[in-house]
Amino acid sequence: MMSDQEIIEGCAKHDRKSQQLLYDKYSRFLLGVCLRYATDKAEAEDILQDSFLKIFFNIKDFSGTGSFIGWLRKVAVNTAITHYHKNLKYRYHIEIEEYVSVETGVASFEQDFFTSDELYKVLNELPAGYRMVFNLYAVEGYKHKEIAKMLGIDTNTSKSQYSRAKAAIRDKLEILRKLKSNYSASDK
Amino acid sequence: MKIEFYNKVKGEKEDRMLNELFRQKLENAEVTPSLSVSANLMRRLGRREFLHFNPTRFNIWYAGSIAVAGTAIAIFLSSGPDKNKIERKTQEPVSIEIKNSNVTDSLAVNIPSNQSLNPSENIQGKAEGRRKSPSITTEAGKNEKVNQGISGQGDIISTPSAIVSLLPKNGVIKETSTEKDELKGGINNSENLIEASVTEGCTPLKIRFKNKAGSFDSCVWNFGDGGYSTQKNPEWIFDNAGEYKVILQVSGPGDIKSVSLTVIIVHPKPSTKFEFTPENAILPDDQISFRNYSTGAEKYRWDFGDGNFSELYEPLYSYKKSGKYNVRLVAISEFDCSDSLTIYNAFSNSGYYINFPNAFIPNPNGPTGGYFTLKSDEASQVFHPVFSGVSDYQLRIFNRRGVMIFESNDVNIGWDGYYKGQLSNAGVYIWKVRGNFVNGETFIKMGDVTLLKN
Repeated sequence: MMSDQEIIEGCAKHDRKSQQLLYDKYSRFLLGVCLRYATDKAEAEDILQDSFLKIFFNIKDFSGTGSFIGWLRKVAVNTAITHYHKNLKYRYHIEIEEYVSVETGVASFEQDFFTSDELYKVLNELPAGYRMVFNLYAVEGYKHKEIAKMLGIDTNTSKSQYSRAKAAIRDKLEILRKLKSNYSASDK
Repeated sequence: MKIEFYNKVKGEKEDRMLNELFRQKLENAEVTPSLSVSANLMRRLGRREFLHFNPTRFNIWYAGSIAVAGTAIAIFLSSGPDKNKIERKTQEPVSIEIKNSNVTDSLAVNIPSNQSLNPSENIQGKAEGRRKSPSITTEAGKNEKVNQGISGQGDIISTPSAIVSLLPKNGVIKETSTEKDELKGGINNSENLIEASVTEGCTPLKIRFKNKAGSFDSCVWNFGDGGYSTQKNPEWIFDNAGEYKVILQVSGPGDIKSVSLTVIIVHPKPSTKFEFTPENAILPDDQISFRNYSTGAEKYRWDFGDGNFSELYEPLYSYKKSGKYNVRLVAISEFDCSDSLTIYNAFSNSGYYINFPNAFIPNPNGPTGGYFTLKSDEASQVFHPVFSGVSDYQLRIFNRRGVMIFESNDVNIGWDGYYKGQLSNAGVYIWKVRGNFVNGETFIKMGDVTLLKN
């Protein structure tokens, strides 16, 4: 088994075997990242391919100081943003419906109640703009200011998109939760 | 206040929980990609790397340099001498029988330029082969072929250094020359094989060419504008004006070659353009003044569409009655090339219009009264038409329940998105407009507009 360092060096020399190793080792993790930014797995795989091309061609730029996996994630996220911008013109519909009032009776989401598949599905179903902002803010941990810069939008847009995304997610989770409770109730 | 505060704290906590939920579950989640992804990726990678410079791998830069080098060598090896050979072949073949059958290598013999190639004379040449300066005797008198060759000897004598290469396999010396001028002799010898349907005309000029040769192996047409054809009777269209030398090379059967040349003259086509004033003329009151912007022409013919014509450069014309007229101008150049332009239904388009946008974003800071400026239009804050020649106008806007929420009789006042001082909800609204243009024509339009919020 080669170490990351060896794989990186191999990839920098465009060694096909190292590239394959890198792919085998990290593709599942990176697809996990990409899927959060896509509407479905096919789109996520497109982003994954583009990310790997970027990774293979720019691996010499990886300084080796930070964490490699962090760098990989960053490349994937940036590729997803590029992808989002590229496809922006195809997403004509603008969400007019606002998720303003949401019953917040369900306060707590137990960590293990939802599977990651379900959470992916919730994200996939979000409007692209909401999904971008929510991912970048909630999961990646960027500040609204940074997100605004990355997506080329206003800071306030980022904030409002985020809160709308949250509302939408809560709605979806609530529906899911009811469905699941019904199932478990009927099981009993 | 207390409750709000409580809610806020509660909300923030929920927020964190929601974010935490996604982060914990998805931050390092793994999803297995489909098998095809890897294969696709590697294929794209291969393609990209091929295009990407990298000294250690085979890529396009290598392929490119090899191709360039290969082409250069190919040109150097074949095209140069080969061309001369072909051109040479257009003449009577010159062959010299060699009696010295010992010669098996290919030799190049330098003939001194002042030395005449006489059949009875011995050519003393420097042989650049392995053999020591063989003396080659041409006993031409005994051979018909050589006699023919001698008829072309004038060329050879004038050639400063004609290279004679020996092709010993069949004992025939083929003579090649470095001078291209000899080509002319070949052309003149034979009759012109080109027959063109026309030799002069206007762009785009379509010409059918005919190769009059009875039997031949192959022919190449060079149309002189960069185009080639190997058909016997090609058809060619000359798009640009100019003088073109069309060359036909016919080869075969055997070693016979013939080159024919014809000059084709293509005249430029004039370009017709015209306008008329007034733009929104009312017939028959207005006299129409035509403006001619045609170029490259010297004669003009106007057809006013009512059966009357004019050959003036810029006529003035009054129609007898209103109606639909197609005005046509034909411009004719000195070479009788013509171009025409027709404006259909020239005087019925009043030029008045009224159009509405399909979305706007109201100013969230309060009602503006519907006045719009360039600045408010940049932000699309007011819903209003763009128009020309509107005399009276009534705009009504309804919400989805059918309640009229806006009405304006002034085309310069649009809707700012407020209803009774309240910013309306985002969504689709229906509008209907009716009114008249200044020429009395009535317009009624309806549509929908989407109110957006930032």
